[in-house]
Amino acid sequence: MRLGLKGRLVAFVSAIIIAFGVVLTALSVRAQSERLRHELEDRGKLLTTVIAANTADPLAMLDVRELRNMISEARDQENVLDTVAFDEKGRVLTDGTAVNPRRHMLISEAAFRHASGSDALLVEFDGDTMTVTKPVHLGGKVLGGIRLRYSMAGLAEDQASLARRAAKVGAIFALIGVLAAALLAEAITRPLKEVIQATRALSEGKPVPRLAVRTADEIGELAGAFNEMTRKLRDTTVSRDYLDRVLETIGECLVVTGPDGTITRVNSAVCTLSGVGEDELLGQNCRDLFRAPQGHVSILDALAPDGSAQGLETVLLARGGEAVPVMISVGAMEENVGRARSYVIVAADIGERLRHEQQKDEFVTMVHHEVRAPLTAVRGAIGLLDGGVVGELGERGQELVKIALRNSERMGRLVNDILASRKLDSGRMDFRFEKVEMMPLIEQAIDSTSAYATSHEVRFELEEGVPGAMVRVDPDRMIQVLTNVLSNAVRFSPIDNVVKVEASRRDQILRIAVSDSGPGIPEDFRDQVFEAFARAEHEDWRHRSGSGLGMSISKSIIEELGGTITFETEVGIGTTFLIDIPESV
Amino acid sequence: MASRPYLGLLLMIASGCGQSSEPPPSDAATAQPDPAGVLTIGSVSLNPTREYEVVRPFADFLAANLHHVGIGGGRVVVAGSLSQMVEELREGRVDLFMDSPFPAVFVWQRTDVEPILRRWKRGSDEYRSVVFTRVDSGIESVVNLGGRRIAFGEPFSTSGFLMPKAALASAGLGLVNDEDPAASIPGNRVGYVFSNDAENTMFWVLKQKVAAGAVNADYFEALAGQRIDELRILLTTEAVPRNVVCVRSSLGPKVVQAIEDQLLQMHLNEEGRASLERFEETAKFDRFPRGADQDLAKIVMLLPHVQEDLGQ
Repeated sequence: MRLGLKGRLVAFVSAIIIAFGVVLTALSVRAQSERLRHELEDRGKLLTTVIAANTADPLAMLDVRELRNMISEARDQENVLDTVAFDEKGRVLTDGTAVNPRRHMLISEAAFRHASGSDALLVEFDGDTMTVTKPVHLGGKVLGGIRLRYSMAGLAEDQASLARRAAKVGAIFALIGVLAAALLAEAITRPLKEVIQATRALSEGKPVPRLAVRTADEIGELAGAFNEMTRKLRDTTVSRDYLDRVLETIGECLVVTGPDGTITRVNSAVCTLSGVGEDELLGQNCRDLFRAPQGHVSILDALAPDGSAQGLETVLLARGGEAVPVMISVGAMEENVGRARSYVIVAADIGERLRHEQQKDEFVTMVHHEVRAPLTAVRGAIGLLDGGVVGELGERGQELVKIALRNSERMGRLVNDILASRKLDSGRMDFRFEKVEMMPLIEQAIDSTSAYATSHEVRFELEEGVPGAMVRVDPDRMIQVLTNVLSNAVRFSPIDNVVKVEASRRDQILRIAVSDSGPGIPEDFRDQVFEAFARAEHEDWRHRSGSGLGMSISKSIIEELGGTITFETEVGIGTTFLIDIPESV
Repeated sequence: MASRPYLGLLLMIASGCGQSSEPPPSDAATAQPDPAGVLTIGSVSLNPTREYEVVRPFADFLAANLHHVGIGGGRVVVAGSLSQMVEELREGRVDLFMDSPFPAVFVWQRTDVEPILRRWKRGSDEYRSVVFTRVDSGIESVVNLGGRRIAFGEPFSTSGFLMPKAALASAGLGLVNDEDPAASIPGNRVGYVFSNDAENTMFWVLKQKVAAGAVNADYFEALAGQRIDELRILLTTEAVPRNVVCVRSSLGPKVVQAIEDQLLQMHLNEEGRASLERFEETAKFDRFPRGADQDLAKIVMLLPHVQEDLGQ
């Protein structure tokens, strides 16, 4: 049988107490026995001494009758087995009886020698008998003495009685000791039991009670540490219910698989999207739920070495053969070092997005065919009118043609921006990278925008350059970005002002800074500067904004070229857009 | 029995129903089914209470068996001296007297009592005394005791004192009581002291505290023990009855005979033996083998040597 901690504690403490009690009892019995023995011995010695003292006179007078009476009385004393009075020669005078059969017999040689030379007691032991010899002297003369045999048998009885009493007391103390041990064990193990119960509750996800810290010892320390642990666990972890609620709340599909792709957990979004119940999904392999990318058996085969994947588009195979387009992200989980991985697959239904993309594409196609082509024809016709091909126009007519031409061009830019933005979004914009010198591109962009600047009574100043600096970009797209930034600076510059253009180099990064002296970008708009169709509500901005696509397109293009675009602005002072592009060595 | 001059104590205790000392019952009284007569036993002792306790049961037993002669109860009279007992007997207040030979003869010679039986006491019907000395004392005969000191037992003891003293005196030695051990004894006298105990007497001789001692011959060997070879017996007295029963003659022959018969039969039945045993280990009573006069003749002859010791 295996004893628990309490049992072992009880057994151990009881064993110690009982062993201690046994040793103590044995020592006590021994001490008591010694004491009893000494008391008995002392009584015998005292009795002999007293008798000897009383017999001095009869011995001196040789009054054997008196001696006989005294010895007879001595024989009646408790534990006295025998008493004799002897003379100076060691001969028995009387043993206290009328018959006195040992009359004249010699006492032991040792006793006689002792009596002859000493006044002290001679004590001899033989089994349970103690014989005490007390010489009687008078004025240096040996008169004889008393020899008394004293029974120590009572001692054995007293010792046995003492041992029985000690055993009873010992048994009571042992019982008390066992009870005390049980109480001690209970006191020690009860907090441990509470810790065990709390630990079980913790492992089973049940509410964990706060443990009472009753003592300042190790047990109390354990309870305190447990409370601290559960508190930290509450702070740093979430319960399974909480996690379940979170997983059920999110709209994305969540699938957890084992290392071989076996589905071990799904949320309700998976069931909703696939039309398959949780019970049916669990145990399936994820390759039956998600179509594997081209050339792979399972999506898990297409993961990065660390077991992850991001933005992987595939389809979820719903009940009835329907393929639902999804974008999945995969993360690998390894709960403990060396244990097999499990995978968390998050799949977002992208069907709606794809439909929107398709609608956008259809819109762009429509704009391209139904707006851009006619607009090109309109611009061409207006250009012919402005060029006087159909005859000289009056002043009023020229003014109207100019307005028409300006607005048609503006509309043309808007259409181009929309088409460019769509191409960028869909990734269909073509980039033809080549290594070119940077400064000519800047100068070309300035030239392209000069007419627009002139119309706004603004001029450009190229203050610094990086002659010979080469970049690897698509020149047309680079010029498009620069033109957009320059025209934007022109649009926000006051009349008769200067837009400064600076080109510099730092750590193989070329920086093109375009600064205007405009109103600056309002603080509440600064985060939206590069968003599509973003237009500030500020009074100074509303009539200066373009399509709202230019900066968004510029940012997308410059990032495709490997660079960045940022700005520094101060309201009332102006804005500087910074284009950084790696120098190609 | 002890006789001390300063003790005149007389204790009379009736063992019947408060009956006082009355004259002995007459013959006519024997016809009474419930006789009123009382038999009084006299004793001499310095320890009257103890003596009474010893004698009374015997008196009761004896009286209970003498109804046919008019004795309905027993009584005990303890006198403090022999002379007082003589007075009690003379006055008829004591009917029966038992003692050692010397006191018995002393009383016999002074009152109307008659010795009728011997009393066997402690297993013996008669006893004698020995006078002894150390072998190395240089004393070859009692004659050599002159100028020396002898130890006797108790002053009232027949074997320990009266008989050896009388024997020595009859041998022509003059004895003088001399308790001072340092005093010198005249060469023509033998000084004597009382050891008050036969065992004392033996040890005093062995340890040369006295030149000689006298003890009951029956106890001599036991007292000498393994040292008997160190001793020499100087004198062994003639045997005398152990104890003598005297009855007052005026009781009348029928009562005397009835008492005598009863005493002689006691040891023949269990009840009687038990009563005898309690009465100082008495074995039985019997008649004097050669008659009282002859058996006590030696005592009569020696009595003058110790008469003073008895009559004081």
